[in-house]
Amino acid sequence: MIQSAPMKQSLRYDQISCRLQLDGLPDVSAGQSSQAIGILTRWSLEWLGRPQLEGRREHLEALMAAVLPYARHLISDVARPFGDPEAPVSIEPAGEGHHRLQLRSSQPGVEPLQLELDDAELADLVRVLDQVRLDPRLQLPLPLPDPRPLRHRELSRRTPLARRLAAPLGGALALVLAAAAAALLPLPPQPAPEAAPRREASNGQAPPSPPQPPQEPQPPLPRS
Amino acid sequence: MTQDLGPTPPDERPLPRRGVERLDLMLLCLEALDFNGGEAMLWLSEQLGYGGLFPNRVELWKRRCHNPLRRACRRGELAAVETDALIRILCVMADRLYPMLRSLLSRGEEEAVTEHRWELFRQRLGELLQERMNPRRSGIQTLLHPLQGAEERRRLIRSLAFAAGTGGFERMKASLMDAVG
Repeated sequence: MIQSAPMKQSLRYDQISCRLQLDGLPDVSAGQSSQAIGILTRWSLEWLGRPQLEGRREHLEALMAAVLPYARHLISDVARPFGDPEAPVSIEPAGEGHHRLQLRSSQPGVEPLQLELDDAELADLVRVLDQVRLDPRLQLPLPLPDPRPLRHRELSRRTPLARRLAAPLGGALALVLAAAAAALLPLPPQPAPEAAPRREASNGQAPPSPPQPPQEPQPPLPRS
Repeated sequence: MTQDLGPTPPDERPLPRRGVERLDLMLLCLEALDFNGGEAMLWLSEQLGYGGLFPNRVELWKRRCHNPLRRACRRGELAAVETDALIRILCVMADRLYPMLRSLLSRGEEEAVTEHRWELFRQRLGELLQERMNPRRSGIQTLLHPLQGAEERRRLIRSLAFAAGTGGFERMKASLMDAVG
């Protein structure tokens, strides 16, 4: 929806829980029409029951750069944070079905603003940002990477660490147990050394026998 | 109502087996949400200009039967142009049904109401799964299970919500191509 003004333009994008408004001017030097926005002066994001967010172009770019790839990964069931801790906007998973959006002011001494969104609110935000991204009236170059397929290594994040480690740890444990069981088995009897006694017997001398204990007289066996 | 879903990405590789499975399961979820989903898909394919690819519901059904989880599964590989058409139909249908998807995902409503919605969805999806899918496949058994399948059903609905709308096509296609690139 365009609210006409002499030069200033406003574009508004609505979803159930949020509304994004962009204010700006057409870049006449680039030959843009009077209804386009080529110079973004301000944007504001209104949430139902939450504080309104405002910012400049770089903040909008940071919001899109964090939220859109995050949503792309969620479609593949990979929930991972996006946005550096120093970036103006970052987003991370906050429990099942919840997401934590952090917005940091460029002014020193201002605490970051944290918003907890559920899946539905995040989907609203994604739809609003999609509308902005694909609106032909907004003639701003927005540097956003194209969504790409995830690699095996990235997909492994969706499997819990315990389940990922279960197979290799189970295999290692089985190997250790098998080795321990094998160590407990008695060794097979060594073959009797036969060659040495024969050689000594061939010399005509009997091998020395160990001293035998004196035999005690055996009692007579009882007759049955 | 048709919408511009943005340019088609240049990736012309066919979807992997897992991608075809998910695509068909998500179409089935939309049918579970919309009792006239089958008719809506055919109508949308004509509206989006895919009448040549899917001139009737049998042709549409034959493409979807490439899902290995189906009872009557067709062999061979779907061409990229066919899977792209199915993904676009999926995204536009998800956009039309977005209020229902959102109401399932929202935590802001009464828990009893949300639970009732999920139960209705589970029952309807279960009927469709038993009618069309191979019940011996573990993935189908999980989806049919009232408790163990809850997480997977929620994942499917969440994926549909994030794929709905003008920019959903690229995200969904990239996701279905996972582990290929």
